[in-house]
Amino acid sequence: MSKKNSFTKAISQYSFVLVFIAIFIVYAITSHGLTWNGVMNIFRHSAVIGIIGIGMGMVCITGEIDLSVGSMLALISGFAVVIYNMTGSILVTLLFCLAFGAVCGLINGVLVGYVRMPAFIVTLATMLIYRSFAQYFCQRIPKDLLGGGSSVYRMSNSIESYQTFYNFGNGKIATVPIVGLVLILVVVIFTYVTTSTKFGKKVYAIGSNEKGASMNGINVNLMKTMVFIITGCLVGVGAFLWIAMNASSDPATTGKSNEMYAIASAVLGGISMSGGRGKILGILFGAMSYTVIDKIIVALKMDSLINDAIKGIILLVVILIQLAGPKLKEKFGH
Amino acid sequence: MLLEMKNIDKSFNGVPVLKKVQLEVEKGEVHALLGENGAGKSTLMNVLTGVHPKDGGTIVFDGEPQEHMTIKKSEELGIAFVHQELNLFNDMTVYENIFLGKEIVNKFGHCNKKEMIRRAGELFSQLDVKIDPTEKVENLKTSEKQLLEISKALFFQAKLLILDEPTTALNNDEIDHLFQIIRNLKKNGTSFIFISHKMPEIFRISDRYTVFRNGEYIASGTIDSVTPEEVTRLLVGNTDSFKDIYETREDGEVILRLSDYSGPGFEHINLDIRKGQIVGLTGLQGAGSSELMQCMFGITRATGGELWMEGNRIPPASTHKTMKAGIAMLASNRKENSVIPDMSLLENMYLAEHTLSAKKFAIHKKEEQGKYEKYREMLNIKAQDSSDSILSLSGGNQQKVFLARWLNTDADVLLLDNPTQGIDVGAKAEIYKLILELAKEGKTILINTLEIPEIQKIADYCAVFYEGRIVKILPHSEIDEQTVMLYSTNAAGA
Repeated sequence: MSKKNSFTKAISQYSFVLVFIAIFIVYAITSHGLTWNGVMNIFRHSAVIGIIGIGMGMVCITGEIDLSVGSMLALISGFAVVIYNMTGSILVTLLFCLAFGAVCGLINGVLVGYVRMPAFIVTLATMLIYRSFAQYFCQRIPKDLLGGGSSVYRMSNSIESYQTFYNFGNGKIATVPIVGLVLILVVVIFTYVTTSTKFGKKVYAIGSNEKGASMNGINVNLMKTMVFIITGCLVGVGAFLWIAMNASSDPATTGKSNEMYAIASAVLGGISMSGGRGKILGILFGAMSYTVIDKIIVALKMDSLINDAIKGIILLVVILIQLAGPKLKEKFGH
Repeated sequence: MLLEMKNIDKSFNGVPVLKKVQLEVEKGEVHALLGENGAGKSTLMNVLTGVHPKDGGTIVFDGEPQEHMTIKKSEELGIAFVHQELNLFNDMTVYENIFLGKEIVNKFGHCNKKEMIRRAGELFSQLDVKIDPTEKVENLKTSEKQLLEISKALFFQAKLLILDEPTTALNNDEIDHLFQIIRNLKKNGTSFIFISHKMPEIFRISDRYTVFRNGEYIASGTIDSVTPEEVTRLLVGNTDSFKDIYETREDGEVILRLSDYSGPGFEHINLDIRKGQIVGLTGLQGAGSSELMQCMFGITRATGGELWMEGNRIPPASTHKTMKAGIAMLASNRKENSVIPDMSLLENMYLAEHTLSAKKFAIHKKEEQGKYEKYREMLNIKAQDSSDSILSLSGGNQQKVFLARWLNTDADVLLLDNPTQGIDVGAKAEIYKLILELAKEGKTILINTLEIPEIQKIADYCAVFYEGRIVKILPHSEIDEQTVMLYSTNAAGA
């Protein structure tokens, strides 16, 4: 009986895998024959949203929310293009992405953690601010730093390392997209951090019982600020991948609604919005599930405008099943 | 007979928690429902009020058999559950709380505030309760909230009130007042099920009693026909735990020094505490003893004076720095301050240690597991697996996990704030024994409690608080309920 119990426990803990498999099967049927490259592309297209989603997931585990990640992606990626055009160095660009992300996250974190403003309000405000900055400066910065684009940040292809950078974003190692490998690396690192380090346990403790956490000597203000900074850094990584993949960033559209997709991925992956519960691995599957839905819509040649409706419905259905499941089991289980 | 519950069975996930238990309550009586934590009292009450469906047995209320009890139905029948954790809405006013969902409205759905306020006031004056119906609930004292909960139930003609440890947060005057109200209502035919761990109260207010142990019905009868000792024996099954366990120890050097220490709720505290001592702090609710502990642990900020530990001054308002100095605190109000509900036993136990050893980033599961097993044995924690949820344990066992949490930080000084709150008799005795053993090993222990027999059992001396100051320090031999009450009500100073 205990074996059966642990099996059902595992099922309920890893239900995000089942959701992914179900969606994947639909994809396999509708796409008329899977190709290896097609499957690997799922990783590629999940990379940015997955990495942002991991930051969002950690914020949610502490019981907060970060609505600014999409705008932050636009701002960081836009400025990173400018930095790249100025320096021509991939490394400097990466360091800039991380540092600038940390600063953006720090602003959110200090206001939420130390000033104690509600995260929803703070990040709603920074969402507006970051996006606006991205668009405003795009009009003010000298054209040659924008790579000649008018209202788009474009990487200048005359730079020596341009091809290397672009290959990083679009290349493959042993048929696996490099950006997909970065995603998996980030998932591995943060799975380790959240499950096997003291830092990770504190993140969960704060979301589970904030008062109790502080009674255990946990500096709740500092921890919350740090989680927002980490999220900023992860958005920085996402921005770096974004420009490597696209060689440009449009401040009006880049990262648009990404905060919503990141939240949806986290929730689909089993992260509790009230904090304290969820697995980083779930976010990977949540993000991939949404990527596959995109692909299904393309395969079925459906109007892409229906895309969000389907994603929304799937989110509702999955959460409904998760909520109703235990109740049904209680009713009919014995 | 108002209520007859017979052969009630209830299991959770295949684990039986009630085994063919029975409970009978007469009209107009106070019936004490007694049992240690985990004996099944709360489960039975949840069955009665329709929170959990019963697996078997019969319920007859007011002559009517009730097959499928629901929360709504139990309310309609006139059964009201006054919970330990008060279910009030702090942001709303008193009368809004009373009438929530049952507002007096005209035919357009417009609330008749005046009428509701008038009726609430009428009820309060009948009950001799001095609460302003238009006051916001958050501004009420705990005792007033308790009375409000009871008034709310009475407003809608409750025939049977379940009072779950109603006196935990009340001082003696407030308890007297509550008992007076109960007696008056009893005369009018209202019945009460009274759940409490405090023997003197049980014997003061109850007419009859029923005892459960480990989910089984043990005995019932009239309270006049038994003594507290007999009831205690029924509760625990044996009386070993009630021997006098105190023994004198050698004191060490002064380890903790409070000099002219002031903070929110207390002022000008001077204490020298020696290594290995057990010091009791007591006083009425709000007299300052609990507030002192919270301030010492850096939860609130001291406003004056100093706190010294082994010759080092502890900086104010930092829990983490206080922990580093070697002080640990088992906070009162377990659910709010100690329980991390989404975490396992092991994670809960290690949380405090992790903040001290945060520089070593990684967790070594095996090592932690070993430590856990050590504490599980030492503290006799009844748990199956270290990965189980903390919520799967009874209150007493949870408290032992939290004691382990702090012992695991290797602190020299333990501040225990109301450590036996809501814990059954058996577990209490175990915790007393542990405290004495720890002191023998050289731990210094401060224990704040309102229950004087606790201090009497274990403390070397006891500081009695009144209105934020220490009014008397009593050595072990002079601690008894009467003397302590004399000073804590300031009857001695008056």
